[in-house]
Amino acid sequence: MSSSISVNVGKVELKSPLILASGTCNFGHELSEYYDLSILGGLSSKGLTIKPRVGNEGVRVAETAAGMLNSVGLQNPGVDYFIENDLDYMNSLGCGRIINVAGHSFDDYVAMIEKLDPHKDKIDALEINLSCPNVKAGCMSIGSDPEQIKLIVSALRERTDLPLWIKLTPNVTDIKTMALAAQEGGADAVVLINTLLGMAVDIKTRRPILRNNTGGYSGPAVKPVAIRMVSECYQVLDIPIIGCGGIMNYEDVIEFMLAGASAVEIGTASLIHPACPVDITRDLENWCREQGEDLKSLTGTLKLW
Amino acid sequence: MKKEYSCKVISRCMLNADTAYIEIKCPEIANEANPGQFVNISCSRFLKRPFGIASVNKAEGTFKIGVKVVGKGTTEIAAFEENQEISVLGPLGNGFTIEEGKKYILVAGGTGVFPINFAHEVLTSKAIVHTVVEGFRCKEQIVLNDPSYILTTDNGDAGIHGNCCNGLDTIPEEKLKDSVVMCVGPLPMMKAVGNWAASHGLKCFVSMEQRMACGIGICLVCICKIKAEKEGQEFEHKRCCKDGPVFPYEEVIW
Repeated sequence: MSSSISVNVGKVELKSPLILASGTCNFGHELSEYYDLSILGGLSSKGLTIKPRVGNEGVRVAETAAGMLNSVGLQNPGVDYFIENDLDYMNSLGCGRIINVAGHSFDDYVAMIEKLDPHKDKIDALEINLSCPNVKAGCMSIGSDPEQIKLIVSALRERTDLPLWIKLTPNVTDIKTMALAAQEGGADAVVLINTLLGMAVDIKTRRPILRNNTGGYSGPAVKPVAIRMVSECYQVLDIPIIGCGGIMNYEDVIEFMLAGASAVEIGTASLIHPACPVDITRDLENWCREQGEDLKSLTGTLKLW
Repeated sequence: MKKEYSCKVISRCMLNADTAYIEIKCPEIANEANPGQFVNISCSRFLKRPFGIASVNKAEGTFKIGVKVVGKGTTEIAAFEENQEISVLGPLGNGFTIEEGKKYILVAGGTGVFPINFAHEVLTSKAIVHTVVEGFRCKEQIVLNDPSYILTTDNGDAGIHGNCCNGLDTIPEEKLKDSVVMCVGPLPMMKAVGNWAASHGLKCFVSMEQRMACGIGICLVCICKIKAEKEGQEFEHKRCCKDGPVFPYEEVIW
């Protein structure tokens, strides 16, 4: 009986459904000190912008119940530096190479794609970040408007044959509308979800803990929101979904896949247990062996009431 | 490969009303640790908590941390029981560079005494000449003090009345000459000590602290403003956990 944990996200074949989420693994250098990243389905790079960004000031993290807020603000060395210094390293890791692309404007995204497309032999997919809650312009504000999502995705579609995975924000009234807009624009997949916009208050100082006031909420607390959004979108989309939000163990992966995900991203869990994908991979393999089925056959098999 | 260790608490004692001293068994960490490095320790809260390594016993394969109670996580960790299994990442970060043939001045403020204690242990074992200055708010806060140290308290109820710089001022000039200063404590104190060192022509290294999540350099939350190497850029945000926590005083933007 077949019991593989390999999956497909459209035409992208991954040896495992586990992808390290952007912003929780940098470009792989640090985590590869803890385990061989070639066991992963992929690694999504730190969100890159056209110019280097120093990110937000001051306190950037607040612990909350079953999760955390961050307000890093897309600190990154810029796409040119990345191409020169980190792309080859990512390429050497032996897992899927996902490049996370963030921008402040339509022109930024287009310029980024034009810089990355010539390196397509070292890239498996471009993850278009229309969802970072920690920058003032672009990203989440674009990802909250279906017209703009469609406009940007279709412009990028014209400029590259690389798979376009659109990472969406949960901070919208109806996620289905946003996912459909991405699909109409020509996206190959959507990634659901980026962090939820939140705030934590220090009652001693009577001020927000984060210097940026607000931040992105992640961790197990957001998982039910993410699962609900994956399930909703699975009902209406023709393109695959990569699930993301609070995955800590193999049961969480299976939950996401049943709800409609073809692959998943692990983010905050790496901050707590750097080598957790090793355990999750082993547990998924054991589970598939016990069940006697391929993991990919689970996608979207959830029977709703 | 680095790993997350499952370790046993060997012993715990209270150094004062709100500060615990905990010994943990982990031969790998004990063998590798350098002064200024830290460990990230799990509790029932969501994130691990970072603690500077305070002492190492390589023969026994143990290390110690000092835990000052400041919130729910540290309340729980300060109450760890003997034989309790805990999850530990470490040793993390870049510690102090110790070179034979140099002299050192170690300056500790508050919980900075813990990493400074480890530096003192290592310097002593290598027979490297050094002077220790410890500053506390008041007598009740004094921990890990030794009669050979220069002691200061803000309120003057023990040692020299004043701060660490007042303590440093009592060191004879010939002892200071060509010394390297290592400093761990609250930000204003490290800034003052760095300033003092600069005015005496001495190189100073400080251990920066910021709210931390991963401790291994992947989340970029524990940033510290460091003067940029690149031209046209005023500063860059370096990671306390991975690029530091120890930085040269003059590179920090205070």
